[in-house]
Amino acid sequence: MSQIEQEERKRFFNDELDTSEASLNFKSENKESFLFANSNNDKESLSVSETPEDEGELSFSSVVKEVGEDDQDQFIGELQRIIPEMPMSLAVELNEKFSSQCEGLSLALSHYFDHYNGKLGGAMPSSPSQVNTSPDTSISALSPSPSNVRKRKNYGFRNQTRLEDNVTWKRFIGALQVTGMATRPTVRPLKYGSQLKLKRSSEEISATKVYDSRGRKKTSMASLVRIYDIQYNREIGRVPEDIAQILYPLLSSSEISFEATLVFCDNKRLSIGDSFILQLDCFLTSTIFEESSNDDLSFMKKRRTERDNKREKDNTGFGRSLTETDEELENRSKRLALLKLFDRLKLKPILDEQKALEKHKIELNSDPEVIDIDDDEINPDQVTEVHEDLRNTQHEEETMNLNQLKTFYKAAQSSDSLKNLPETEPSRDVFKLDLRNYQKQGLTWMLRREQEFAKATSDEETLESDANMINPLWKQFKWPTDMSWAAQKTRQDHVNLEDDIFFYANLHSGEFSLAKPILKTMIKGGILSDEMGLGKTVAAYSLILSCPYDTDAVGNELFDAKSTEGADDVPSSFASSSQDNKKPYASKTTLIVVPMSLLTQWGNEFTKANNSPDMYHEVYYGGNVSSLKTLLTKTKNPPTVVLTTYGIVQNEWTKHSKGMVTDEDVTITSGLFSVDFYRIIIDEGHNIRNRTTATSKAIMDLQGKCKWVLTGTPIINRLDDLYSLVKFLKLDPWRQINYWKTFVSTPFENKNYKQAFDVVNAILEPVLLRRTKQMKDIDGNLLVELPPKEVVIKKLPFSKSQDVLYKFLLDKAETSVKSGIARGDLLKKYSTILVHILRLRQVCCHPGLIGTQDENDEDLSKNNKLVTEQTVELDTLVRVTSEGFGSSFTKEDLEAVMEKLRFKYPDNESLQLLECSICTAEPIDLDNAVFTECGHSFCEKCLFEYIEFQNGKGLPLKCPNCREPIDGGRLLALRRQNVSPGNLEFKPYTSASKSSKITALLKELQLLQDSSAGEQVVIFSQFSTYLDILERELTHAFPNNVAKIYKFDGRLSLKERTGVLADFAVKDYSKQKILLLSLKAGGVGLNLTCASHAYMMDPWWSPSMEDQAIDRLHRIGQTSSVKVMRFIVQNSIEEKMLRIQEKKRTIGEAMDADEDERRKRRIEEIQMLFE
Amino acid sequence: MASLPKRIIKETEKLVSDPVPGITAEPHDDNLRYFQVTIEGPEQSPYEDGVFKLELFLPDDYPMEAPKVRFLTKIYHPNIDRLGRICLDVLKTNWSPALQIRTVLLSIQALLASPNPNDPLANDVAEDWIKNEEGAKAKAREWTKLYAKKKPE
Repeated sequence: MSQIEQEERKRFFNDELDTSEASLNFKSENKESFLFANSNNDKESLSVSETPEDEGELSFSSVVKEVGEDDQDQFIGELQRIIPEMPMSLAVELNEKFSSQCEGLSLALSHYFDHYNGKLGGAMPSSPSQVNTSPDTSISALSPSPSNVRKRKNYGFRNQTRLEDNVTWKRFIGALQVTGMATRPTVRPLKYGSQLKLKRSSEEISATKVYDSRGRKKTSMASLVRIYDIQYNREIGRVPEDIAQILYPLLSSSEISFEATLVFCDNKRLSIGDSFILQLDCFLTSTIFEESSNDDLSFMKKRRTERDNKREKDNTGFGRSLTETDEELENRSKRLALLKLFDRLKLKPILDEQKALEKHKIELNSDPEVIDIDDDEINPDQVTEVHEDLRNTQHEEETMNLNQLKTFYKAAQSSDSLKNLPETEPSRDVFKLDLRNYQKQGLTWMLRREQEFAKATSDEETLESDANMINPLWKQFKWPTDMSWAAQKTRQDHVNLEDDIFFYANLHSGEFSLAKPILKTMIKGGILSDEMGLGKTVAAYSLILSCPYDTDAVGNELFDAKSTEGADDVPSSFASSSQDNKKPYASKTTLIVVPMSLLTQWGNEFTKANNSPDMYHEVYYGGNVSSLKTLLTKTKNPPTVVLTTYGIVQNEWTKHSKGMVTDEDVTITSGLFSVDFYRIIIDEGHNIRNRTTATSKAIMDLQGKCKWVLTGTPIINRLDDLYSLVKFLKLDPWRQINYWKTFVSTPFENKNYKQAFDVVNAILEPVLLRRTKQMKDIDGNLLVELPPKEVVIKKLPFSKSQDVLYKFLLDKAETSVKSGIARGDLLKKYSTILVHILRLRQVCCHPGLIGTQDENDEDLSKNNKLVTEQTVELDTLVRVTSEGFGSSFTKEDLEAVMEKLRFKYPDNESLQLLECSICTAEPIDLDNAVFTECGHSFCEKCLFEYIEFQNGKGLPLKCPNCREPIDGGRLLALRRQNVSPGNLEFKPYTSASKSSKITALLKELQLLQDSSAGEQVVIFSQFSTYLDILERELTHAFPNNVAKIYKFDGRLSLKERTGVLADFAVKDYSKQKILLLSLKAGGVGLNLTCASHAYMMDPWWSPSMEDQAIDRLHRIGQTSSVKVMRFIVQNSIEEKMLRIQEKKRTIGEAMDADEDERRKRRIEEIQMLFE
Repeated sequence: MASLPKRIIKETEKLVSDPVPGITAEPHDDNLRYFQVTIEGPEQSPYEDGVFKLELFLPDDYPMEAPKVRFLTKIYHPNIDRLGRICLDVLKTNWSPALQIRTVLLSIQALLASPNPNDPLANDVAEDWIKNEEGAKAKAREWTKLYAKKKPE
């Protein structure tokens, strides 16, 4: 047979014969590195499919070989001669498989020895085959006879000689024709068909150097991928950039392998820059499938240790020194490259499996036409079909995914089905409170989510999910016909099995599988996202008390560490230890993590709700429990509920992570991370929205069987906020960042909002329950009847000094932003600009805030140096504005008056006992004293009241004391000397140093005091310094018997907080109780229904935070209508912030895929601010 | 109704605890802005030995606005009319928030001591006063005896 071939070759390639002869020897030595038949007996592994793709084939005919009947007999005879015992049937089979190949006999024999000689199903053969790799073995046959059609087909799997340890087989997925560019001159023309190799020019370039953080390449990759001549093992050229981009990330991986063959080089010596053409055959190797079966979360988890053990050679090629980001980046780039490769190979997912199968059968039974290789395309029939296919695919792909998703996540909670949810009434024995109807429905839903169907009221609806549903993110592919260079020379018969027609790929995560990926069972738990004030706490307790312990576990061994999630769920940072000794299972305990300010509230609620003497709760805070582990797993009656705070969790987590490195510590090994809880509930779950924070990471590492998130505002800023929740719930597949990014972040960033939101809805629909106050029940009644809420925006002008200061700062900020935009380094100046903005916002509130921080600005917290840094310039300005402005003194006048006053009040003592004749207060608060030109002193407030009154009546302004005419612009005030603050000196008074907001607030409060006594009032601000200023001003403005002022901010201890709130809640009709509330400390969770008036001193970036704050008052229990007034300074940054809020309200904010992206988004906001 | 300003409370306390000789002022039980005032006629004036009743009311805008004061006791005085209204600059144009109840009442007392017929309110009295000062003073004394007789202790 090889003789025949040889002859044929001579016949058709006489012109090349001499050179090919020369290279033949080399090739046959070297062929191991190139090609060998895979004699895998596993029939599944063989397949034939006719996928038209052969860009690479321009000038060569496909391999068609005629093998006559005689040949076959001869083959069988030969086989039986060598192995007399060989049964005829096997011989025939081997004949079919191998006879068409050159050296088929030896292949058949080695196959026989490997697979039939007592080693059935064993390892793949590694014996080198003797494949002839001479330049060409093909015969151009335009009309092949039917008998050889099948022989023309290629085998699917084969081995590599230089197998990496973990690669057992590889399979052809397509070929590319690539034009290379010579980088070195060659002495002789490259031989047609000579084997080439692609290499990375350097293996040690870190991923971050090659890609930026978004995974886009930074450098040209063409320089990183080189073509080597295997024969001489030297570089001969480069590939074009587009190919290099595909190849570079994949070359380091063993998952994809490439074989390159020179197919055209003009038969000349190559000079630098000359082009040559090579055929690049691409193969998937077994590794890529192994990975997916081992761990489909490998991209998400920090499993470097395990992975390194598992696969000694990290397929990233970068080894251990990679940071997680690097790894993620690397994976992402690989994934993208893979996508591009699939695209180039025209490898398209199969949309209709049945159709594909039918087509496949037809192909098998009919005689496919010979591919006319001169034609760039394939045969016309196929072309049309393919194109149709392509069009369909592309067209359908976008909508397809969504539809798939939707079918998969069958609308569990359309608002209709929500209404029809049956109600579950918790047993009176355990639950004391009355639930509202919607809360009972919620309980049903939650019990179902935990698969406690027995306890939930059931209806006809079955909640079974379709077990055969293919994971929507996976795609089905058909193995293409092996058209690789090697395959065309070594024809082989094929065995068809339907099982092996397809492979599956998740192009979003880069996972591959041979088996159909079925979605995992549902997680237990979910997100209860009822709007604020609908009683999430009560709902949670109704669930806990209805279902206080894990019935499965309690039925068996109580203290047995039985976890349904098992090793899969091992928290990343303790992976090594917890795999060996699993954490004990606290099957009777629910852990509730709440913000510190709500700890008491949750505790009280439990007592109110619990009706069972056996159940109790434990507050795990401040070291009151020595060993949680013992308490939960070793005592007879462990607490039903353990309450703790985010702070504690984070604290223990930090210790724990460190503890793993050093010796094991008792407190660490017995804390929150030492047990596996039955249920974990995180209240105000949006606290973990930023997955890079320690808190978030800590929460993710808590272990529990059922997990619940309570939050009224699942999205605070951006769609990505949801991701953390999904990750916490371990909601597959979305908790993999790749999925999330592909389906949510990226469409969103591309302004494809509908798609992004559709996906988010599809993801969350089954696991999220949200009722709003506006929702109506089945009878059309509102779920909750709340008194109306009225939000008024009060627009105020700047006071004069604020105005001047604002303009100054705005000017500076604009210059900074503009120059940033002009130079393109806006991002570099990010912090500076944020400081600018912060200052502008602060001036709107009170000039005195400048230099302090915004406790809520995540971006700035690290830069407090910048914030607090007062430039000399600014300092002067603050002084200038508070000095000269608003005063109409000429310089001479001023000097004269000052002289006079200095004479009248020569020292500090003379200033100590001044009396204000208007309010009869004595002594006057010197910080608020004003002096007339005639030297009389008044309280600032009194004198201005007088001036206002007189002006209002058109009366002349006279000094109340001496009746000298006075002028509002010609007043003086005192200032503490910079050098010795005890000493006072005169300065021109400027009426403008007051903040217009404070003036307005005082007025409003006064009005309220006059109209309705004893009203409690809440004042929100995000600047705690502002709260301090307000406290001072209010105390000054309202005497003790008129108003009582409370301040609630982060500086209060838990006990103080409880005290303040309790005191504030007590109604006192003789006083106006005013609560100054810091947004950060009290924006969430608090119940302030005792008050019905709120004032928001400053706008927040996030509108939902403001809503949250308002809902402290406007929630169940509120009896009167809620009035909210928001103070906004006209024509200032605050008005623009309102606009940004509007925008956020409508579209939300896109995900912060990474820090850069988030900053970019904020930069956009910044630009909006300075429009 | 707005609560009582600190200043009024303070003034009231002072009027009670440290009264001006010859003047009393007591806030009404029901309305702390309404005062019942008595002023003794200054010595060596036609009003000597008389005790005059007045009412004083502090308007909402007090102390920006002057208090309203009126004689309840009939008095023959060129600057006080039949209705008891008083013509006094500090109660009108010359009011200053620096003035107080106490100073206002002292001014009224001083007005009794030195009537000013050139800026009259009761024109007939003023005319009388200018034409025949002695006669007018006698009439004033007569009225004082008649209407403002000190109650026997």
